[in-house]
Amino acid sequence: MSQNRLSERTVSVLRRVRTDHPARLSWRETRDAYILVAPAVILFAIFVIYPLINTVLLSFYQYGLTDPDIKFVQFDNYIRLFQDPIFWRALRNNGSILVGSVAIQVTIGVVLAAVLSRGIRWGKTFFRTLHFAPIVMSAVAVGVLWQLIYDPGIGILNHTLRGLNIRPPVQGWLGDPNLVMLSILLASAWQYTGYVMTIVLAGMQTVPTEIYEASGLDGANEVQNFFFITLPMSRNVIIAAILITMIGAVKVFDIVYVLTRGGPANASQVLGTYIYYNAFTLNQAGYASAIAVVLLVIALIFGVLQLRFTRQV
Amino acid sequence: MMLKRNPLISNLVYIPLIAYSILIALPMVWMVSSALKTTREMFSSPFSLPTNPQWGNFVQAWNSGISGYLINSFFITLVSVTVIVMVSAMAAYAFARMKFFGRIPLYLILIAGFAVPVHTTLVPLYRMLNGADLLNTYPGVIGPYVAFGIPFSVLLMFAFFVQFPSEIEDAARIDGCTTWQMVFRIVLPLSLPSMASVAIFQTVLLWNEFSLALIILSDESMRTIPLGLSKFQGQWTTDWPSLLAALTLASIPMLIIFMLLQKQFVNTLGGFSK
Repeated sequence: MSQNRLSERTVSVLRRVRTDHPARLSWRETRDAYILVAPAVILFAIFVIYPLINTVLLSFYQYGLTDPDIKFVQFDNYIRLFQDPIFWRALRNNGSILVGSVAIQVTIGVVLAAVLSRGIRWGKTFFRTLHFAPIVMSAVAVGVLWQLIYDPGIGILNHTLRGLNIRPPVQGWLGDPNLVMLSILLASAWQYTGYVMTIVLAGMQTVPTEIYEASGLDGANEVQNFFFITLPMSRNVIIAAILITMIGAVKVFDIVYVLTRGGPANASQVLGTYIYYNAFTLNQAGYASAIAVVLLVIALIFGVLQLRFTRQV
Repeated sequence: MMLKRNPLISNLVYIPLIAYSILIALPMVWMVSSALKTTREMFSSPFSLPTNPQWGNFVQAWNSGISGYLINSFFITLVSVTVIVMVSAMAAYAFARMKFFGRIPLYLILIAGFAVPVHTTLVPLYRMLNGADLLNTYPGVIGPYVAFGIPFSVLLMFAFFVQFPSEIEDAARIDGCTTWQMVFRIVLPLSLPSMASVAIFQTVLLWNEFSLALIILSDESMRTIPLGLSKFQGQWTTDWPSLLAALTLASIPMLIIFMLLQKQFVNTLGGFSK
């Protein structure tokens, strides 16, 4: 097949050479290619590359958001960063969300996918649809909804707990510095677990059924099938799901902003919200840029990991 | 394949599955049913269905700005997604099928943009748009939306064009087609399914986009749905049912489109890890 293709391609190249002068053709092809990529490259350069370069450069300056005058301060912003406990807390919170999301979403997502792909006889489409639905809601809508669910007065969570004779936390789910990250994690897991399930399910469905038939003849039960066939054969797609979840945790902003604005007293600050808070509330854009550079470096590391582990490129 | 299954065990699987499904469904059901209650009924019986549906809550939410936010979101998403799909398809085709100087480095730089969180660009973007008087304008928000949508769309379309049969191109060339005729009359029309995937993916992302909207659009008249919802928060501390009606109105367009195009959604959003 591939050899056949190759020979066809050779024929077509030969045809081109015969009908067209090769040098002239390649100049024309280059020009046409540049025109085709130009809109994408120019838009990307203006709105992504140029701002990114500025973020790095401006992280060495002190300035307000709209100040025309900027003051060069060398590494001051970075020195301040390393001594800022809120920065470290934000970094740690990103880490908690990363570990927590992978633990909750990937574990539940993989088990759900296995159950849907092998374990049930009816309702597969129904369950898949239901579990996927929260993803098409905006993180803002999910945040507002969960803020109401967690609300000490009208929220259904406390209502339910009171019904079960359990005392809800005194400071509220989002007001208690020790509970706030957990509350954010649960709201976020509610939205995204179905997404992980969908990705993993797509991978599990490519496992050939013959393998299960053979293991069935050997007397294996479904639990053994899960650990010895489904999991190892879905390894790549599970890794991809873990990486996607991790990148989501690095980029997290919307749900934290809507639920807590990083509060109470910065207890739930993450890098994204801390950048926003410094730049747009405190008007310390230089310091915000230094935090942004840290976020960029972390994000690029995960981006490289993702490209290496998935077959997309 | 279910031959050896013990029927009791396979039915037991449904118990945790249904319990978990209730956890997922309950917040959505609560959202819609509370949106139809009076504030008092919402407090007193949160889990019951509304006894006397208060459609007025939806009217209230609609009139307090949701209608305008929907129009803004619709317009911004439509234009951005159209531009993203066109521009990315053209670029992906050139990267996948043509030879030119700088092809690989350009492609890699573009793709790397996929990993860049928008929050790393907020400050310079704000300064740039402020300087160009583009804050609170459609072009000011559509520009960054398109730019941040390009990397992943090019990635998806590139994978598609690499597999595009070269016989079709060869035939077109023999017939004397120019590059433009080939791209716009032959290749792109044959790529509609893959362009639709990209469009679905970007529509979900941009309809729900919040961070860029938050810094670029501050005027009430320019707000998109997510931005509008975030501003309702705290404004309506007494009228919870209307806030939930606003949430329902904001979520319903995407949920309906999702129900209609369910298979495409699942394939597009679920398949991109492969």
